[in-house]
Amino acid sequence: MNRIILVAAAIALTFAVPARAHHAFGGEFDANRPVLLKGAVVKVEWVNPHAWIHIAVKQPDGKTEVWMVEGGSPNSLLRAGIKRDSLPVGTEIVVDGYQARDHTLKRANGRNITYPDGRKLFLGSSGTGAPTDGADPTEKKK
Amino acid sequence: MKHRWIVVTMMSGLVLALSIAEPIPVAGQGAKPYSPKRMADGHPDLQGTYDLATLTPLERPAGMKAVLTREEVAKLERAVKTQVDEGAKPISGERAAPPQGGDGSAGAAGNVGGYNTFWLDPGSTFTVVNGEIRTSIIVDPPDGRIPQMTPAARQRIAARLLAGAGQPNNDRGLETAPGAYDDPERRPLGERCLLGFGSTAGPPALPNYFYNNLHKIVQTPTTILILNEMVHDARVVRMNAEHLPKHIRKWMGDSVGRWEGDTLVVDTTNFNADQIRYAVQAAPGRGLFMVESLGAKPQDRLQGPSQDLHVIERFTRVADNALLYRFTVEDPGTWVAPFTGEFTWPATNEQIFEYACHEANYALENILRGARQRDATAK
Repeated sequence: MNRIILVAAAIALTFAVPARAHHAFGGEFDANRPVLLKGAVVKVEWVNPHAWIHIAVKQPDGKTEVWMVEGGSPNSLLRAGIKRDSLPVGTEIVVDGYQARDHTLKRANGRNITYPDGRKLFLGSSGTGAPTDGADPTEKKK
Repeated sequence: MKHRWIVVTMMSGLVLALSIAEPIPVAGQGAKPYSPKRMADGHPDLQGTYDLATLTPLERPAGMKAVLTREEVAKLERAVKTQVDEGAKPISGERAAPPQGGDGSAGAAGNVGGYNTFWLDPGSTFTVVNGEIRTSIIVDPPDGRIPQMTPAARQRIAARLLAGAGQPNNDRGLETAPGAYDDPERRPLGERCLLGFGSTAGPPALPNYFYNNLHKIVQTPTTILILNEMVHDARVVRMNAEHLPKHIRKWMGDSVGRWEGDTLVVDTTNFNADQIRYAVQAAPGRGLFMVESLGAKPQDRLQGPSQDLHVIERFTRVADNALLYRFTVEDPGTWVAPFTGEFTWPATNEQIFEYACHEANYALENILRGARQRDATAK
């Protein structure tokens, strides 16, 4: 246990202090309404203060319900090379989160947003939704 | 639980891997004094877009030395990168919904977990000033901590809280603040898109350790604009002007500027009372000014400055790709001594994007609707 590890521990502690965010998630979403949503993207709102991804979720009765999933501010993603068409309509995604406190709203926080194989959205090294960095030979040319 | 990766665990200064390789500007080195590019009026050109994100906290963590070696900082920055990589790892696509009753997350993630780390851009390097890798932005007092508050300030803040002026708490559940989620006027300024959270816009302008840390400076001989990306906070500095009468209060205060040699000095007073009032109520966290860092002790969070808050900022171009930003906060009615901080503002070629915060602020709507539903079910 050398000094630098202690220093690292100190930094980690500093960093582990609670999150700051634009708003109170606890006021917006209901901890007693956990949801797991699977569906295809129908629309993406690349807006501040939070991006919203709309997905069509199939119900057990065969009907479809459109849910809105809250993400973060899109600005950092845009700077990281994500473009408006990086998450095309029709992309299947899986979301876990909690529903809005007003249960008439089909809205949830995107606690985890992934592709069906579990890769985090926008972070996959290849395939739909990954940054168009040329690494993926199947990637559509812009 | 391994697959859980929520925003609150991310507060660790995680960053999108893509933005990691920024060079650290090192100021004040070399034999010849640096000579900045100048405007037509002869003053240094401070214009540009700057990324204030840094791992250096406002206040020095207890027991830490002031300056790190390159080896030490490399280790720390690697540790942060490891956390970033961890957050980027795939999880199960066949996972279940999160736990009934909440996922146990604290802070703004409020027991429901916030969102993925790929949205964030909190910084990946420590600030370097005069070739020193710093462990705090505060440099005076020399312990890197904000001075103690005066007893009068503690009383004032306690009274404010008792009076209900600052009841809403961004971090806690509904149970701690009856009615707090029911009234937009009582929601924090950031949530209402009135100002970026923390002291993002300032003054003093500080990193928020989260995202949207870009600032842009536009300069003319008579007016200087400091634009903060988050919530599009635009502070207009009137050069060589007098302060407005005391009763005229502005968001981000009234800023007047002057040149002292090649340094732009900006003097700010007349802060809006709401900005100060709300300073006592928002999220605890990493010791951010204007919100939670107004006191030296993280556990002693409910603190705010007085109407006499006075901030003096100094902007100096120290390299073609960096400014040195230095600030002093004076408020004898709040702290037993003034304090000073400094950090480097590295230039970036990245763009500031429009914020247009009100237009899509579904979150506030959701919060207010949630409170109404709660009322309805209670009847």
